[in-house]
Parts: sequence; structure tokens; C-alpha cells
Amino acid sequence: MSLFKARDWWSAALGEGEEFDQGCICVGDVDNSGTGHDKVVVGSYMGMLRIFFPHTKKSSEAGQGSAEAQLLEVQLQNAIIQVEVGKFVSCSELLHLAVLHPRKLSVYSVSGTAGNVEHGDQYQLKLVYEHNLQRTACNMTYGTFGGVTGHHSLCIQSMDGMLMFFEQDSYSFGRFLPGFLLPGPLIYNPRTDSFLTVSSARQLESYKYETLAVATEAESRQDPDLPLKTGGKRLMPDWTLVLGEQALDLSVPSFSHSSSSTFILGERNLHCLHDNGQIRFMKKLEFNPSCFLPYTSVTDGTTNLLLGNHTNMLLVYQDVTLKWAAQLPFVPVAVRVANFPELKGVVVSLSSDGHLLCSYMGTDPSFFSTPKVDAREADYEQVDAEMKKLQKFIREVTRTQDILPKTDTEEDLSITAAVSSSMDSLSQALIQDINGLPVPSVTIQVKVKASCVVQSSKLTVSVQPPLAVTQDQFVLEPMGVGSSTVVAFSAFLNGRYPPADLTGDITVSYSSPTELNPKGVPRVLQSRFSLPLLLVCVPSSPTKSTKFKITVDTNQPPVDLNTIFPEFSAKSEDKDGNSLAFQFLSGTKVTVLASKTSQRYRIQSDSFEDIWLVVKELVQRFDLHFTKLGVKDFKKSFSGPIPLQEYFLSVDHHFQLRVSAQQYQDLLSERAVQFRAIQRRLLTRFKDKTPAPLQNLDTLLDATYSQVMALAEAAEENRAQLEEAFARLRSASHLLVLLLSLWQGLTPDQSVILEATLLPLLQDTPQLGWEESCDAAVSHLLRSCLSRSPKDQATSLAQAGGPVLGLPHDTARLKKHITLMCDRIGKGGRLTLSSEANVQVPAQVQNLAAPGGVEPIAEVAGDGEELELSQEATKFIKKKQPSKKVKKDKDSKEKKEVSREPSEAAVKEEAGGAEETVKEAKKEKKEKKESKKDSSKEPKEETKKESKKESSSSKEKKESSKEKKEGKESSKESGDKKVSKKSVKVKEKKKEPEAGEG
Amino acid sequence: MEVTMDPLFLAWSYFRRRKLQQCSDICTKILQDNPYDQAAWSLKTRALTEMVYIDEVEVDQEGIAEMMLDESSIAQVARPGTSLRLPGTSQGGGPTPAVRPMTQSGRPITGFVRPSTQSGRPGTMEQAIKTPRTASTARPVTSASGRFIRLGTASMLTNPDGPFINLSRLNLAKYSQKPNLSRTLFEFIFHHENDVKNALDLAAQATEHAQFKDWWWKVQLGKCYYRLGLYREAEKQFRSGLNHQEVVDTYLYLAKVYQRMDQPITALNLFKQGLDHFPGEVTLLTGIARIHEEMNNIASATEYYKDVLKQDNTHVEAIACIGSNHFYTDQPEIALRFYRRLLQMGVYNCQLYNNLGLCCFYAQQYDMTLSSFERALALVANDEEQADVWYNIGHVAVGIGDLILAYQCFKLALAFNNDHAEAYNNLAVLELRKGRIEQIGDLQSSYSAAQKSEDAFPEHVDTQQLLKQLRQQFVVL
Repeated sequence: MSLFKARDWWSAALGEGEEFDQGCICVGDVDNSGTGHDKVVVGSYMGMLRIFFPHTKKSSEAGQGSAEAQLLEVQLQNAIIQVEVGKFVSCSELLHLAVLHPRKLSVYSVSGTAGNVEHGDQYQLKLVYEHNLQRTACNMTYGTFGGVTGHHSLCIQSMDGMLMFFEQDSYSFGRFLPGFLLPGPLIYNPRTDSFLTVSSARQLESYKYETLAVATEAESRQDPDLPLKTGGKRLMPDWTLVLGEQALDLSVPSFSHSSSSTFILGERNLHCLHDNGQIRFMKKLEFNPSCFLPYTSVTDGTTNLLLGNHTNMLLVYQDVTLKWAAQLPFVPVAVRVANFPELKGVVVSLSSDGHLLCSYMGTDPSFFSTPKVDAREADYEQVDAEMKKLQKFIREVTRTQDILPKTDTEEDLSITAAVSSSMDSLSQALIQDINGLPVPSVTIQVKVKASCVVQSSKLTVSVQPPLAVTQDQFVLEPMGVGSSTVVAFSAFLNGRYPPADLTGDITVSYSSPTELNPKGVPRVLQSRFSLPLLLVCVPSSPTKSTKFKITVDTNQPPVDLNTIFPEFSAKSEDKDGNSLAFQFLSGTKVTVLASKTSQRYRIQSDSFEDIWLVVKELVQRFDLHFTKLGVKDFKKSFSGPIPLQEYFLSVDHHFQLRVSAQQYQDLLSERAVQFRAIQRRLLTRFKDKTPAPLQNLDTLLDATYSQVMALAEAAEENRAQLEEAFARLRSASHLLVLLLSLWQGLTPDQSVILEATLLPLLQDTPQLGWEESCDAAVSHLLRSCLSRSPKDQATSLAQAGGPVLGLPHDTARLKKHITLMCDRIGKGGRLTLSSEANVQVPAQVQNLAAPGGVEPIAEVAGDGEELELSQEATKFIKKKQPSKKVKKDKDSKEKKEVSREPSEAAVKEEAGGAEETVKEAKKEKKEKKESKKDSSKEPKEETKKESKKESSSSKEKKESSKEKKEGKESSKESGDKKVSKKSVKVKEKKKEPEAGEG
Repeated sequence: MEVTMDPLFLAWSYFRRRKLQQCSDICTKILQDNPYDQAAWSLKTRALTEMVYIDEVEVDQEGIAEMMLDESSIAQVARPGTSLRLPGTSQGGGPTPAVRPMTQSGRPITGFVRPSTQSGRPGTMEQAIKTPRTASTARPVTSASGRFIRLGTASMLTNPDGPFINLSRLNLAKYSQKPNLSRTLFEFIFHHENDVKNALDLAAQATEHAQFKDWWWKVQLGKCYYRLGLYREAEKQFRSGLNHQEVVDTYLYLAKVYQRMDQPITALNLFKQGLDHFPGEVTLLTGIARIHEEMNNIASATEYYKDVLKQDNTHVEAIACIGSNHFYTDQPEIALRFYRRLLQMGVYNCQLYNNLGLCCFYAQQYDMTLSSFERALALVANDEEQADVWYNIGHVAVGIGDLILAYQCFKLALAFNNDHAEAYNNLAVLELRKGRIEQIGDLQSSYSAAQKSEDAFPEHVDTQQLLKQLRQQFVVL
């Protein structure tokens, strides 16, 4: 990340596919021209040696630049791993070139002879001497070892840790470094006459030349792994400093006499030391460095250094302060500073793949060009037209739908589920038998047929517990047009109690790709199937005396039960078809008795809940039977008292289990807290250096643990019981609904409402259970369509309890409400969909009393704006309804067809009514005296008032919201921003639906 | 021409150039020929470690267990200004939460995402478990969090034959005697295998072998203790390491321990002590700035970020934080300059363009606003970002009065992220303005909602006004 890039002065690409590393470059006046200008010597791992003298005289010919600047190119026999320029030849003050090969050290002299023509300078490389090395070399350093002046000696480090010293053309001695594993960088510090290296122990080690010279000689020819046996001094470092990291490079710059620093470039830090190994400073690097070079000291006491890193940057530091950052086109492996005739202080950098660059710092912006966004040309007319088109489209879409897409009239898939008529010959059930009765299973075949291309479809099957299926998820292959797939699975009972419902759901989720969206739009399709009664019960012999009895009346002559239940008749001893018995796999028996004389049927059992499945089946089959016979006016009824007591038993049982589940939960968390507290105490004890006695804490821990486990198991058991109780409760509720509808002859619509009221949940959870949600629904019914008077509602609504549903203390209230509901239904109260509007009942009454009274409610007398508003509100409310209860959607549509006007009126009234009720409560029922007819107008006026008030307050809110918005921009984090502030409004909204229900 | 080279030398050279995979491959070959080549083994260990190395200073995720079994906290209710756990009100006269948004844990949003900026601290274990754990909420994580595990298993993929070093069969005592191998091995176990227990074993034996005189081993021990949640022990080791040698990293680790122990003031003092030894050290300065920021002392945080920039003017975090601070203190023009600088430096992502767009809008450079957002949309990496950008465009639309566009933008934001609470809220405000109200006049619930709002943010003017109004209403009744 930098603002500027290094300015190119001269660059060259060396060879192709050649490799370079740290040591492969050096600068110096290698041909001893005497001008003080530097040449750049580069050697590659492929053995190419090149010498450059960069200049920009003919910069116009860019292609020739490198050719002209290249003084020499030689292919040597071996890889070049390091090149150095120094006074390596005795009796000569001239600079020579030392080239390190893996197994050889060669010293060359480079000389140039001036030619006559323009390109005529001729350079030659002459071998002065060479040493063959016994060991693979790794790197080398040179200097005036031992303080001799005038010429340089060389020290080569081998891969296995031997330092070999050469004094010009003679080998002086070799020493093994102690504790060596992998080589590190090596440097000679002339000020202390010592060698510095970073060993594998990650410490900087300093060896005095003197110490090295007098240490044991002999081992240098021996196997390095053998311990020293011969005499002589053991080689010990002068001092060491733990760096804790490997070093990439070392440098001992000498700019002035005062500064005596050693720089170490570690993998993660840059260290600067005094000569005695004290840290002067260090800097943590937040990147991976690749090379560095301390090059000068601008102000006294500080050092400037160049640092290259792996994010293509060249950084200039003055001690620890970043002075400049420049972008390089590559990761430099080595960097040098050189003086050329035209320019002094050029940064020469070399990349690993042979990019040689001479550059200087400048304010060229680093060319980071942002990629272009595919912006269209601003043809405003065209854009305008497109905008209009899109706006129109959006408006249309918003009018017809919300976020949800409209359902197609024609589905892409069709599902047909076929339940096999006979049980599986080999049962698939997991529980093979219950109380000696074998558990059967039945096969269901689902055929999925596609009418267009369908991708990634998944089929899910769900049945009510304790029913189970062999496989509940299927991944279907992508289907083409007209193709179909069939999956088969078996359903069976997987528990010791009967289910509440024998139907199962099939859900297919798929995506149908369109032209614009090749991935496909996700779609869902649902289908139902119902399982045979035979799956959960077997035929049995009738029992006479039972606890619970239910009698169903019909208006048709009695039928032979055996024809109604052919699959159960086989075992029945009663040949005249007057009685039939079912035994559930769980053991309870249900007997159906047909009266010979009257048109009555009696269903009796020891278990109230278990009657449900049989009654349901019976009623269904009767319907089917008489439809087949062509009887139009078949009626069935229930005269009875509603068996509420039995129902409440089931409710209480369920509630008891929920309460104990809650208790288990509390106990568990209490024990868990205790467990953690003991753990914490134990932890502190164990952590102590001087262990204190445990004081039986371990026993306590064990005991608590076993308590926790026992509680958890008990809770688990309770949960299973609760599941069973809930299934039973559902059965009982279904039965209650059926009986209520038979009793009062409720229409299917009303039964649906009743069912939704009594069975609001498919599952009950500790947070939201059946009791509270059922209570909320029932009391809503009581307040709305079943209430006695509008005044009643108003007060009850105003006194609405807390909006949060929670586990009630007892079931008394619920029971009272359910009894009341049954009572009112029995007294002729009717459940209607439009009863969502709170004032529905009086409206109906009104309707009956004065049919014309409601009609003119939409009078256009009010100003148009007002009307529009209320219509808008109507729409809005209508839209809202389906989201609450899906079932109502259908109903409302039907209703709309039949009586658009009244329903609209009703809803309109609702809009006002909601306010009216509150107003009433507020103003202590001032409007009590208003006549009923007027009351229909009244709310409208109120609405007006309200809306005026509202608009003023909304203005206020507008201002405040504006103010808020200023602070509202999201920054980089997507955390929450402003919720706390605006929550006033949000909460207001949220509360609304709950207040409506409870 | 082919030139033969010693493979070990080549591997060594590759390692230095960070061509780690090549280095590891060559070492594998050497080890196949000679399984006892310690040098190649060590080099491969280093290469594998480097591949997955993450600076331990930056790794910071607090697990449920650490939060709950935290016996190092001294007071349950800390004094204001001494704890990171209290959301603390603004001390340095920075912007109020009305202007600068907060994270869920009650800290001001910073300009730079880094570990632990989003972590909250639930009160009880039950609460911790119940807290939702989606990406954009304050979430607790288990101590062996997914991130650590992924680091540990990354190596398995590169070695289909199984792990390079079988830790269970390693004789740690033997290796701890060899200083030239032990450090490499430790880093491998700690960073690559992520096996803190074995790493701790090795470090304990090695520090014993070094006669408790090696600062490095002490720091490593501290790192292990920290990972194990033994903060007091870690502190002891780091302190002792500092006695041997002052190292920047040790200061950072120690400060991290103090931050975890919820002693921000001690951490600040430590950083300042570190700065005495290493004047101008960027990481220390950044540490101070971060703590100030987390303690809602934005003004001094900004001062320290400025100090950071004096040392290193390419520091992205500092630029971003100063920029966002200027933005939230109503200086969008200045913020714009900081963000532009980031752009020039080559930061090129959705968030930056998003911020640029907002700055341009509030600095009234409308021509640049939409093109910035356009670029931001072109650069989005995930749906959450997309939702945020649309949300901001919606704001701009509200600002220029194009409510239809705003409505559509908020809807789009919801389409991309359907729990974008702010978008819901603003949509509701728009609906309110359209007059689609479902309920009005429910003073009781209005009052209780307003009271909750007041609890959350006592200085909020709107709430106070609303409450006043409601009280008057009640008096009238």
C-alpha cells in the first residue's frame, strides 16, 4: 500500500527462466576504471555472469538500452550463488571479482580496453585463481580478517556448517560452527574483528577471528557429526543474543566512526544492535520482508535503510520511522545502492526471476488503475425511457404483490401420492411389536411429474409423531419436460401411543430456471396423503362397559358397519354388523355400536383421546358411503353434552408435564451453576504451585455431576412424555372440534376457524406452548365474534393483559374460557371470518335489523382524500390478514366474491373501530349515548381527527428521523447501528398484533 | 544449460524467497532418500509453519468457557473508565451514540475490522448459549473455535499421507535438549498443529534446559498459557521474559493478557512503558489507540492514531479510523480526504467505496456519490455487504427526497439480508409517512417502549421529548 511508485531509471530482464537470490548481485567499480562509478555484477543460478553499466544516454532506443549497458555476459560451468567485489589478489590494490559456485570459488579480474568505434569498448574476464571446495558452499563474506590492511580475505560457509578461510590464493583453515543445523547469514564485523551469524537456535552468535583461528583444526577434515576427539580449544561464541526468529540478512554498515551498529533483518522484526550485542532498537514488521540495506546516515546517530518486502514495496526507514514507501513491480530479493555517471544513489534491485531495476524515489503515483465499472453511456433519453419502463413495472408489481412472488396458476410439478391399499408383507417398522401386536407398515408411492425443466429438487416427507417413515428426504435428479420420478417409502408407527393425525405432508422444493436466472427461482410445492387406520389399530372383539361414550345421530337408516369398515370386518364375530371394535397398537380398544332401531351410532372406549381417530374415520366413511348411495341430505349430529371434563383431564395432564419440564429446567441450570462453581474452585486449587488439599471438592464434583446427569435423564423422559401428552391433547382437541361442529352443525368454514383456535400450534416448545396460545386465541374469539356487546369488547380490549405469552400459572382461566366458548357456541354464537373486525357482531345485528343501514357507509359525502385514505387502509389491512393465518385467505376471497360491499364496510369499520375502542376507553365512554346507526359514521370522523393529529405528529417524527438519519450510515461494520434510537417506533408496531390477540 | 545444485541449498534458497511449497517439496524428496536428515526436516518444519503462520498477537477470540470460568476478574461491577466490559459512556467528548453507531456490545463502531471488535460479553452461561451466533451479531465462540481448527487441519490437506510429524510419538524431552531444533519444532506444534498442550510441554522442558534464562521460551510459555486461558500464569511468564530482554512482541502479548483480564488501564501503562524502550513503535501506538477506542475515548484514540501516522504514514488502520472519526464528527470533507488516500494507496474494496459514497453525499459532492456506490455494488463480496450498500443508497435517496427510490432501496437491502433491522425500521418510517398506520393511540405501550429506549440511551433527545409528551397525556387523563 503506497502512494507512489519507484521511478524507473533503467531496467533489464535477465535471461529466461533463470533464478536469482540474495547473493547474486553486487555493485562496485569492478573494472577499476577509477572514475568511482559503479558497475552492477549479476550472477544467476544457471551460471550466467553479467556485468552492467547502466546509463540513459540513448534512452530513446529502449530496446537497445540493456544491450548497450551490458559490458559482459559469460556462461560459467557452475551455478553462481554469490558474487563479491574486493581486493582479493595479493600484491594488488585493484578490485577483483570473487564468484562463489557450489563447489568452487573463483576470483576473476575484469578489464576493459577502449575500442575505436562507438560500441567498441571491450571487456574481458580473466581467471586469477580458483579453489575447489570439499563441501557445498552456501554463502561467503569478505573483509580484512585479523586486522590486516590492504587486501581482503574470504570466508565461505558451507551447507554443513564449516567456515573455510581463504587468504588470497591460499587456504588458511576451516572450522565447524558448534550446534549447527542450517546455515544462516554470515557477516564480518571489522570493528570487532569477529564473524556474526544467526544459528538454527535462533540466536545471533559472534565469533572472534582470533578464537576461530586457535580453535581445533583437525576436525575440519573429519565427519562433522562426530564429537571432538582431538585436542585444541573448543569453539565457543564470543557472545550470543537470542532473537527468537530466523534472520534473512545481516549488515554491518560503517558510515562514520561514531555509529557502530549491526542490523539484523529477521523474519518478523528488524533489530539494531551495538557491537557488544546490546539492542539499540527494534521494530516489529507487519509484513514479510525480503531484503534490506542500510545505506547511509543522514543525521548523526541514525541510519537510513532500504527494506524490500513481499508485497512489492520498497520502504525507506530512518531508524524506526518510515520516511518513504515506493511501489516496485516485483518482490526484490536483493537491493543495492550504486553511483552512476548521470545519477548518484540509484537503488538497484533484483527480483527472483531476473528483473534488474535501477530506480529512484519520485512522486509518480503508483498506478493503481481501478477497473471500470460497466457503466452505460449516459444517453439521458434512453436512460429516462428505461427508468420509466422500470418504474412502471415496479409500480405494477407493488400493486399486485408484496415481496412474495405471485403463484403461478399452473404448477411446474405435479405430485401424486398413492398409499398402498394393503400393508407391507414385511413390516419396515423399527419397533417390531407392541404388547404382542405386530406393527405393520404401509408403502407410499409418490410420483413427481415435471411440466418444465426443474433443477435441484428435494422431496421431504413429514408425518405426525409417533408415526415415522423409512426415509424422509429424497434428493431428486434434475428433470426435463414431461419426465417423472417415483419415490417410495414406508410409514409405520414408531411409538407406544396413537398419533393425533393420520395425514402426512409431502413438500417438494425445487428451482425452475428462467432465461434471466439460470440458477432458478426457488419454489415449493406441497401435497398431502392420509394413511389407513389399519396402520395403528387392529380389529378386535367389542367390549361392553367402557368409560367414555359418544353418540352420533344421523338422519339415515343404520348401515352395516361391516360394509363401512370392510378391512376390519373379517375378524368381527358380530355378523349383523351392529358392532365393531378397534384395538390400537397401544392397547386401548374402541368399540363402535350401531343401533338397530334408531339411526344412532355409539363409539365407546376407555380412553377419551383414542376415540378421535375412529370417530373421524367413521364420519368420513359415512359421508363417502352416503354420497355413493346418492343421498343428498345426509346429516349427522351430536346431541350431547360436550365432554369437556374429559377434555380438561387431557389438558391438565399436558399442563402438569409442562410445569415439571420447567422445573427440571430450573433444577438443571441450578445444578449446572453449582457444577461450574465447583469446577472453578478446583481449577484454582490445581493451578496453585503448592497444592492445597482438595477438601472433598472432588467428591462434591462427582456428586453434582451425577445429579446433573440424572436430572438430564429425567428431563429427557419427561420430554418424551410431554410429546405423547401433546399428541393426545391434539387428538382430544380434534375430537372436541368435531363434536362441536356436529353439535351445532357448524359449516366447514367455521370448523376451520375453531380448529385454528384450539390447535394453534403444531409443536409446543418450552417458550410457547399450547395452553397460552390456545387461551389467547379463545379469548380473542370470546371478545370478538362471540362477545355479547361491542361495549364488552371495548373494555376487554382496553384491559388486554401483557402482550407476552408465557406459561400460565394454572389452567383454570383456560378452562373457563373454553367452557364459555362452548357455551356461547351452544347459544348460537357463530364464528365468522370477518369477525377479525372487532365490531363484527353488532354490524351483523345491524345488518339484520336494518339491511340498508350498512350499505350507505361508503357514502361519498366525505371528501375524496379521506375516502382514499381509508381505502388504502383497507387494502393494507387486507393484505395483512393472510400473513397471520393462511387459511383465512381462501375464505376471505370467497367472501369477497359474495359480498364485497359489506365486507369492505366491515373492514372500514374496523379501521375506525380500533381507534374508537381505544378512544372509548380513554374518554370514559363519552360516546355511549350515540345511537348504533351513527356509530358507523362516528369512527370516520374520529379517523379524520386522528389522522390530522397523526400528520402533525408525523411531521415531528419526520424531523426527528431526519436528524437520526445523519448518524445512521453504516460504516464498514455491519453491526447494528441505530436500533436503540428508533426502537420507539418499532416497538409500537410490534406490539400491535399481540394486543389484538390477547 | 543445466546446472546441478545441491537440493538442500536450493530448498534453503526457496525458503528465503518464501516459495514455501517448492521448499517443502524438495525437503520431502530429501527426506525420502534420507529420513534422518535433520537439516531438511527442520527446514520442512519451518516451511510448513510459515505457510499457516498468523501473528499470535492478532489472534483473539474469546470462548464461552473463558468468559464464564473467568476467575481473574476482581470486581463484578467495575468503576467507570476502568473496564472494557461496561459499554461506558463517552469520556473524551466524542460523538454520542446518537451520531456514532454502536455495536451490539455497546462499543462505538470503528473504522477497521479486526478480531474481537465484535465480541460481546454475556452475563451468564445460559445467556451465552442462547445468544444467536450468526455472523453479524456479537457471538460467543467455543475455545477451539472453527478458525483455530481450520488452521490445524489445513496441513492435512497438503499431506495426504497424514501429518508430517506424529506428535504423539515425539520424544519431547529429547528435542527440548537440542536448541537448534526445539524452537522450530515448537513453532510447528503451536502454529501448524495447533496442539497447545504438547507445545506447552516442550516449552516447559526447554526453558528448564535453558536454566530459565531464555526470554524466548518464557514468551512461548506465556503464549501457551494464554491459549489455555491461564492468564495469571501467562502474565508471570511474559513479565519474567521482559526482565531478561525487552522485546516489542512481549509487550504486545502482555498487554493482550491485561486486556483479556479486563484491565485496560494496566495495558495502557504497559504500552507506554514499552514506548519508553521502543520510541515510535507503531504496533504499541496502535495498541493504545485501540484501547482508547474501545473505551469510547475517541478523542485520544484519534490522537494516537495520528501519532501512528507520524511514524508510518501508510498505516491503513490508522487512516481508516481517523477517517471514520471525522465522518462521525460532521467533517465529511476531511473524512473524504482520508478515504481517498486509502484509495490511492491501493485499498480497493466495497467498504471503501461505500464510505466514499457517503462522504461525498454529506460533503455535497453529489456527482461522485452514485458512481461510488455503483463501484461498491460492483465489488460486493457477500449479501450482507450488498444489503448495507443498498441501505446507504436508500439513505441518500431519503436525503434527496426521492422516497420511492428510498423505498425500493430498503426493500432491496431486505432482499439481500432479511434481518437488516435498520432497513426494516426505515421502511416502517416511510410507511408511516405514507399514512399506513395500523395502530395509534396505544399510549401505554408507547410509554413502555419509550422507557426501554431511555434505558438504552439516556441522552436521547427524541425519547425524552416523547416521554414528556406522554406524561402530559397521562396527567390529562
